[in-house]
Amino acid sequence: MKNKVLKKGDKAHLSDLKIGQRAKVLGLHLDKPELRRHLLDMGITKGTEILIKKVAPMGDPVDIELRGYELCIRKEEMKNIDIEVL
Amino acid sequence: MKIALVGNQNSGKTTLFNLLTGTNQKIGNWPGVTIERKVGRIKDLGDDLVDLPGIYSLSPYTIEEEISRNFVLDGKPDLIINIVDATSIERSLYLTTQLMELDTKVIIALNMADRLEAKGICIDTEKLSKEIGTDVVKISALKETGIEELKSIIRRNKNAQVKSKEIFKSSLENEILKVRNELKVNRFMAIKILENDKLYQKYQIAIVKNSRQKLEETYKMDIEEIIANLRYDYIVEIKNKSAKMKSVKESMSDKLDKIFLNKFIAFPIFIAIMFLVYYLSVGVVGSFTVDWVAGIVENFGLLVEQGLTNLGASNWSTSLVVDGIIAGVGAVLGFVPQLTILFLCISILETTGYMSRVTFLLDKLFKKFGLSGETLVPFIVGLGCSVPAIMSTRIIKDNKERDLSIMLTPFIPCSAKLPIIAMFTGYFFADNSGLVSASLYFFAIAIILLSAIIIKKLFMKNSGTAFISELPEYKLPSVKYVARDVFDKVKEFIKRAGTIILFCSVTIWFLLSFSWKLEYGIEVEDSILASIGNTISWIFYPMLGTFSWEAAVSAIQGLVAKEQVISSMSIIAGFAEEIEEGSMLFKSAAFKFFTPISAYAFMVFNLFSAPCFGAIGAMKRELGSTKKMLKAIAFQTALAWILASLVFNVGTFMSSF
Repeated sequence: MKNKVLKKGDKAHLSDLKIGQRAKVLGLHLDKPELRRHLLDMGITKGTEILIKKVAPMGDPVDIELRGYELCIRKEEMKNIDIEVL
Repeated sequence: MKIALVGNQNSGKTTLFNLLTGTNQKIGNWPGVTIERKVGRIKDLGDDLVDLPGIYSLSPYTIEEEISRNFVLDGKPDLIINIVDATSIERSLYLTTQLMELDTKVIIALNMADRLEAKGICIDTEKLSKEIGTDVVKISALKETGIEELKSIIRRNKNAQVKSKEIFKSSLENEILKVRNELKVNRFMAIKILENDKLYQKYQIAIVKNSRQKLEETYKMDIEEIIANLRYDYIVEIKNKSAKMKSVKESMSDKLDKIFLNKFIAFPIFIAIMFLVYYLSVGVVGSFTVDWVAGIVENFGLLVEQGLTNLGASNWSTSLVVDGIIAGVGAVLGFVPQLTILFLCISILETTGYMSRVTFLLDKLFKKFGLSGETLVPFIVGLGCSVPAIMSTRIIKDNKERDLSIMLTPFIPCSAKLPIIAMFTGYFFADNSGLVSASLYFFAIAIILLSAIIIKKLFMKNSGTAFISELPEYKLPSVKYVARDVFDKVKEFIKRAGTIILFCSVTIWFLLSFSWKLEYGIEVEDSILASIGNTISWIFYPMLGTFSWEAAVSAIQGLVAKEQVISSMSIIAGFAEEIEEGSMLFKSAAFKFFTPISAYAFMVFNLFSAPCFGAIGAMKRELGSTKKMLKAIAFQTALAWILASLVFNVGTFMSSF
């Protein structure tokens, strides 16, 4: 998955996206229930559109745009978010 | 009447709180500035206003979020002002819908109204008010607009009764109703019980479990996800009815981030900024003011001495005032110019939003050493003072990581350590004082990272926090706020000089002037302080290369307040003074042994050893036990001793070539 360029309609994890790509959330698979709950509260729910906006100079964390605001999140958590590329 | 001010992090709560109550609480353009709840009285209305830490939801994620939830639930506020960042209403209204499930009237203050236009957002307040079912008022806490209207709405809603509104699809509402009727609870509790929240475990009866199962089967999701989804569905629906968004081109913040978060220059910029902070506060004014103030203090001392002698004051009382109080307090006050500049730099960095970028920038580096970006918040606050910095560790979710940060935060050179740094570097590294001061800051970061990785490897396996934080937009700092912030901090420093430092100066003067037999007019070497110092001076031998009771007793006094080290040194220098041109501390018999190497080593010891009592108290509170606190300060002091001894011996060895 790593080196493949994702196209519209591809299913992947949020961490696979490149800067400027958009995706729709399909589901969250986090082990820690409080963390999952926190991400839901922050608006990462099924169907939410997410844009990869900025990436920190060392490649992690990532600044994503959703629901009209920006959130910083690590790749580690993004790996557990299923998406469909838009 | 008791009013709670509730809102997301970085929504402008504290700005509004200051505006309504007329006080000046700390504000920063980064999440998590309000750590404990604060109470103030609203001007004109006389009601109590409680400022709470920012929360995103009534399901708390961190300890500070729990403080807010507990207050909203158990503190029984008569009214809730929900401050909403108007530029991101979709996320902000999520909390609003939860607050409106409580049986308390909620007033929505749409803050940052002044920035809506630039963001291409247009909100119809009346329509939103009608849709959501409560009062909505557009305000700008920064530009101070809409405040009178907010106050009149508060006035109008004293003792207002409310009925919670149904906002979900009927499939969910029916189950909520069932739970409510069965358990006789309010809407908020019914939803929490359905969600299987820890708070209401005893209500988990069969009927609740049935309802939950039914919903989870219908929606093919777990209950928390169903409710979060439906809540957001409702919000999007009312948002679409009452607000219009135009997409805007690249914002100013995005443009600035292309520079400040640039792959190649982000780190050089960060290092340059930190160097600049130290260069400005220590380098530029540093050596200049130290000499200047020393001169003023000496002349003032001579003047007072003359005056007192003319008035016929006794020898000892003149000495108490001149050699004790003026020398001790004056030495500390001499650093007010440096501190003013340091506070100004920190305040500007905080309010512009750059500090949030620093956490974003360094997260990965810190994670490699077992710390997360969130631990950077206390490390940045610690530039000012360790006490609030230690308290700000509450934003860290993982307990072990939190303990670790509490232990490491005092390593950051706080503003009270600045006088020590400025005095030593100003004299011994006159041409590069800014550079040498900044080197201590980066030395501290290096030691923090090294300590973190060693402690993590040895004692804390498999712990770690996720890093989830907002990236606020850049803002121009408000001149009014920055001026007040700096003024308040400088005032606090001067107040300490007039209280703690004054008291210590008198004590030190006494211990220096009298022998154990309480004889006055003795040689300094026979004083009580000298004899105490002589018993401990061996401890400092490895970092100073000499037995100096003067330096030993001064370093110990750092426990009271770090700037007391300087105060003590100048009193002792005054006593030990040889007749010589000028009153330079490092030319006195007591301290002329200092070399640049031992000066650096001594600074390192003062930087890393146990912090002042205030910070130790905060460590004890936040670590939760005296034992943990003692362990932490033993670790800090031992590390400080080892590092200082290393600096001295390696430095001496290298310079012998």
